[in-house]
Amino acid sequence: MPVVAAAVCPHPPLLVPEVASGAAPELDDLRTACLAAIDALSTASTIVVVGSAPAVPYGLVRFPAAAGGSFAAYGAPGVRIGGGDPVLPLSLAIGGWLLEQSKAARLPRTYVAVPATTSPDDCVRLGREIAAGNDRVGLLVMGDGSARRSEHSPVHLHPRAEIFDTTVATALQHSDLDVLKALDPDLGTELQAAGRGPWQALAGALEGATLTPDLTYNAAPYGVGYLVASFT
Amino acid sequence: MTDERDGVLRLGNRSFAAGEFALMAIINRTPDSFFDRGATYATDAAYAAIDQAVADGADLVDIGGVKAGYGEPVSEDEELRRTVDFVAGIRARHPSLVISVDTYRSGVARRVAEAGADLLNDTWAGADPDLVYAAAEAGTGLVCSHVGGLSPRTDPHRMAFDDVVADVIRTTTALADRAVEAGVRPDGILIDPTHDFGKNTLQSLELTRRLDELAATGWPVLVAVSNKDFIGETLELPPGQRGNGTLAALSVSAWLGARVFRVHDVPAARQALDFIAVLRGSAQPAGTRRSLA
Repeated sequence: MPVVAAAVCPHPPLLVPEVASGAAPELDDLRTACLAAIDALSTASTIVVVGSAPAVPYGLVRFPAAAGGSFAAYGAPGVRIGGGDPVLPLSLAIGGWLLEQSKAARLPRTYVAVPATTSPDDCVRLGREIAAGNDRVGLLVMGDGSARRSEHSPVHLHPRAEIFDTTVATALQHSDLDVLKALDPDLGTELQAAGRGPWQALAGALEGATLTPDLTYNAAPYGVGYLVASFT
Repeated sequence: MTDERDGVLRLGNRSFAAGEFALMAIINRTPDSFFDRGATYATDAAYAAIDQAVADGADLVDIGGVKAGYGEPVSEDEELRRTVDFVAGIRARHPSLVISVDTYRSGVARRVAEAGADLLNDTWAGADPDLVYAAAEAGTGLVCSHVGGLSPRTDPHRMAFDDVVADVIRTTTALADRAVEAGVRPDGILIDPTHDFGKNTLQSLELTRRLDELAATGWPVLVAVSNKDFIGETLELPPGQRGNGTLAALSVSAWLGARVFRVHDVPAARQALDFIAVLRGSAQPAGTRRSLA
């Protein structure tokens, strides 16, 4: 069976209210959009979470459903998912944290870390592999747009950041897989757009699928591009 | 750190014993500082600010020629132009004032040391590996900072630490040890956890809360919390309204063992530190008559 539904979400630590403290309500609409997109994965029989990871120490590695994730490194030691040592990179920890609040919380789950250095071809190949099994897969793709969107961005403004994110947003909205596959990894790195690899895995996974795309969130409230999309 | 140390911090011709607080006034020679927006950019205004800081109780002044955060590029020549003659001028006016220069460039460090600087405040944590030799050759002190591996003048994006205090201790003490090996005077070395730089607010709060662990390394700890974003985010206040929060963070840091305090508001910090010195038992009250006559 192919991918029966997919969701695309960003992964700022700020999504976790304990990290954001008093600023948490500012991202209520983003949290709601993410959960709505993830709820739609509940028609699947298994969930695969794909998310970016630093090239060091992560390879293209899979983690089981019980893998641990923590936000202690960002200042919220009380929030964690799974068991054992916190091994999940941020993107997958946020993905798991969102999943556990969603209607897809009880489905079996696998995590896949995509190192930032993974080539577009390898990302697309990963997506095809995910879609090739017999399971009815619900795919959760964790990816951020550029962290260089504005003068007050975490990383300073880059003149191509907004165009890059808009290109991705339009491609998600129209399920234009060729555009996603063609995203330049070097430009993605320069723009600090963590989603490049995971979005290309999405493009590989959706080949041959006939899902309806819906872009439900597209903004950069803190100078980092956040995109939420649903494929059902 | 070395065993022969007596805990005395020696900078210029001043000595600060263990338990004695040293106050460092911030004098920006930049047109775009986040806090004062260039109030002391002009030379006359900067000299006047220094005279006032000394009158208000500053032991050190910290001169910066380049805005710490992202901004217009400042060439080495321009940084030299903003700092070298100015340092020489301060030295002439205030012979015993400790002059610190905030720079990450070894070329600037050498020239300001020749001009009379006593302390090199290497806020970007050894980004220029030669800066430590400039301190060694000139006999100045050195501030060893923690910026989480950032490059100069960049801002953090989701810095993550298994234990931010442990990371700060590991990084700053390694820089201090390296400085000693390079020939820097051990009694002129300070460590600075560098709140906000490469840290989110929760991490800077954690550093403040556990400052005693930094002090326990034996290296004198410099704290630069004045008007920083972690105070602003904690209290939801813009830069101009963070004075009270600054004094709270400064006071806790002093209580937990910090020894040098880099501040904008010298009189307020001096009062707070004088009070805490008495609380800690390292100074006597000015006079105690109440209910004693």
